[in-house]
Amino acid sequence: MSNFTLNVNGTSSTVDVTDDTPLLWVLRDTLGLVGTKYGCGIGECGACTVHLDGVAAKSCGVTVKDATAAKITTIEGLAPGGKLTVLQQAWCHLDVPQCGYCQSGQIMCATALLAKKPKPTDEEIDYALSANICRCATYTRIRAAIHAAATVA
Amino acid sequence: MSVAPNSPGLTTIMDRRGFLKVGALAGGGLLISAYFPLGSSLAEAQTAPAAGAAPDFAPNVFIRIAPDGAVSLIAPNSEMGQGAKTALPMIIAEELDVDWKQVTVHQGDLNPAYGRQSAVGSGSTTGNYAALRQAGATARAMLVAAAAQTWGVPAAECSTAAGAVLHAVSSRRLTYGELTATAATLPVPTGVPLKDPKDFKLIGTRVPGVDNEKIVTGQPLYGIDQRLPGMLYAAYVKCPVFGGKPVSANLDEVKKLPGVRDAFVLENINGLVPGVAIVADSTWNAFSAVGKLKVQWDEGPGVSQNSEDMAKQAAALAQAAAVAPPAAPVKAVEAVYHYPFLAHATLEPQNCTAVFKDGVMEMWCPTQVPSAGQGLVTRGLGLAAGNVKVHVTRVGGGFGRRGSNEFSLEVAAIAQKLEGTPVKLTWMREHDFGHDNYRSNGWHFFNGGVDAAGKVVALQDYFVKMLGGPGDMNGGGFPFNAVPGSSVQSGKLPGPIPTGYWRAPGDNGNTWAVQCFVDELAHAAGRDPLDFTLDLLAALPGAAARGGPAPAAAAGGGRRGGGGRGGGFAAAKMVAVLKLATDQAGWGRKLPRGQGQGLAVCNANGAYVAVVADVTVSPQGVLKITKLTAAVDAGLIMNLSSAESQVQGAMLDGIGAAWFLKITIEKGAAAQVNFDDYPLMRLEHSPPVVDVHFLPSVSPPTGLGEPGLPPAAPAVCNAIFAATGIRIRTLPFSGQDLKWS
Repeated sequence: MSNFTLNVNGTSSTVDVTDDTPLLWVLRDTLGLVGTKYGCGIGECGACTVHLDGVAAKSCGVTVKDATAAKITTIEGLAPGGKLTVLQQAWCHLDVPQCGYCQSGQIMCATALLAKKPKPTDEEIDYALSANICRCATYTRIRAAIHAAATVA
Repeated sequence: MSVAPNSPGLTTIMDRRGFLKVGALAGGGLLISAYFPLGSSLAEAQTAPAAGAAPDFAPNVFIRIAPDGAVSLIAPNSEMGQGAKTALPMIIAEELDVDWKQVTVHQGDLNPAYGRQSAVGSGSTTGNYAALRQAGATARAMLVAAAAQTWGVPAAECSTAAGAVLHAVSSRRLTYGELTATAATLPVPTGVPLKDPKDFKLIGTRVPGVDNEKIVTGQPLYGIDQRLPGMLYAAYVKCPVFGGKPVSANLDEVKKLPGVRDAFVLENINGLVPGVAIVADSTWNAFSAVGKLKVQWDEGPGVSQNSEDMAKQAAALAQAAAVAPPAAPVKAVEAVYHYPFLAHATLEPQNCTAVFKDGVMEMWCPTQVPSAGQGLVTRGLGLAAGNVKVHVTRVGGGFGRRGSNEFSLEVAAIAQKLEGTPVKLTWMREHDFGHDNYRSNGWHFFNGGVDAAGKVVALQDYFVKMLGGPGDMNGGGFPFNAVPGSSVQSGKLPGPIPTGYWRAPGDNGNTWAVQCFVDELAHAAGRDPLDFTLDLLAALPGAAARGGPAPAAAAGGGRRGGGGRGGGFAAAKMVAVLKLATDQAGWGRKLPRGQGQGLAVCNANGAYVAVVADVTVSPQGVLKITKLTAAVDAGLIMNLSSAESQVQGAMLDGIGAAWFLKITIEKGAAAQVNFDDYPLMRLEHSPPVVDVHFLPSVSPPTGLGEPGLPPAAPAVCNAIFAATGIRIRTLPFSGQDLKWS
């Protein structure tokens, strides 16, 4: 067990956890930020996607130690002051979620994509979100919501 | 159903008691609920009014209207993505005649007063539609009566709209909130008339899911999101070989690992698969300890089970059955179709949270059937049902997996040992794959034939699957019911591999096999598959009665037929969806080689679905699905948004499974234990266009969570044949060479 200081959603927190703990479990179990989901633990499903310095990363594969150097953003920190981003609004309006479990990871990936490519093509969307599984296969609406957000933004 | 009252006085008492009982239940967990964002819906719903304030109006367990006009509605069934948490309250709101913006929805915990709470068999809407309409209409009638009494006018002169009662003659208006005090004093009437469905304003519109905003901001909703003060985290390890049990384990070493608080064997509990529980101060420390756990297993006889041997056994059964060859068709067609075991792979792994205190087990369950989990716990641990309180959380994917509730008993057994300490059990993904109730594998040995006129004159199927579980065939479904002398026989493979309900049970594999074989017969006959199928249907009674009333048997009883289960069959509905799908898809266009259209149709859960797939296959064999077109008769549609989404997702679910997925059993255990070797469909495989067309209908709603799935994969396989001449008879087909020249 060691102390680690993390900057999550603009807030600095010191946690006392086993050294090899993945960021995913620090977020969920220690900090109570359960919007980041456990799906596979091996970086295959994308449900645990967060931003490290604005870049999408799978938090199940990042140790707490490696995460101390970055500014971490989770799904809970995406909407500044509680005002939904354009992408989050599109997601709600187009009713993308079915079970909803993968959606925070999808949104984190899509947010990172739009930051880099404000008007992505279908191919660019498919590539950027290729690491994210939606078991309910809401893919038709995921594409539509990203395009809708790109049009408005 | 307590909501459909027979006697006003009794019902008032029953319903209010029902509500109070729920309140007491929620209140009993108040200390916990105060910390706890989930499963506390009724505590939220029932914020006690300040002393002296007007009372809420709560005429039954589903509805509560506050004096400020806020309407709280209960969703009795669990939400797993099928849309029940939005659609079911919409039914109440429609009859109650409130503005959807006034409504707050609360997930109902397990409570017999809610009626049918199981979210299986596409039955949440069909099972609750009548009762929820009655609940809404009854409350509305009482509010109208309250207004009429206040104004001293006949109730018949009053109307309602958007949460208010109107008296047009005198231009007076009172909101429901203003009427709660008076309405609460009135008896609950019986036999209240319902709206004519053609007057529905909310039902049939697009209503976004009530939890959407919480989902996109990552708020706690799911079972796995549970947090309780002082909570510990558990993992539970069972023998990888089905039927095996632990003999010994290095528990003393495991207990010394970082963060581990306890480790023990659970066995000899009725209904529980024995295993080793590890309890730690974090999920990660519990999972890490699993990696250091060494167990000596008694693997039992299951270790001799292999998928490869099962294929040989299936062939031997078919041969031994010696099905007589069909009577001399002009053209005989023989084919063997095989589909593998599938895992449910819900993205939220199985999990459950429990605390055992003062003889009461309080649980937070992501389940499709909360009463089944309660039953497992009461039987397994010898607790009275009243002492097992089940809160229902949002479910991160069901697909039939969470109809079985073994995680409930596992965590309850652990919680009982840790008396007083809350514990959350989370299955590692590897355990979730390794201990599923799989979709059974299956084999179809078909014999068929057509005559010189292209008519089917023989159709025989010898079907093999695992013993037990759903998915049986019979001869009553389409197209067997359309071919005189057709036969379906079946054989079963014994063994300890657990099989169970997987979205569209039976139909998910059998419709694929049967609809592909029908396509084979059509091509053998030199016929267009659409014309060929329509001709088969034309032979059935009622096929021409398009638009007319459906045969009585189909109204509620037509559960499954595409895969062969009996029940009602409305040929006219199948004809109608075939015509709509093919019209919309532009069926019958001349296409160059490498492009193809395929067609398939099914009836399942009372609904009729036809799917046309458009594909391209490059000469190198790269498949792209360019478009899916579905036509659906599911009766009246509740929520158009989720209905469309369900059909889109179900089609892709069926296609993704057929394309990529299999569980193979090797030495009695699942060989695929994570997503790296169980490659679920991803965005890149999803077609750019997925169109869903609903036939207009005012018939009662059918199920819709499942029926879109069965016809999608055969439509794609038939399209691949049309494009390449390559016939797919074994799933998954990702390994099959689709090159053509």
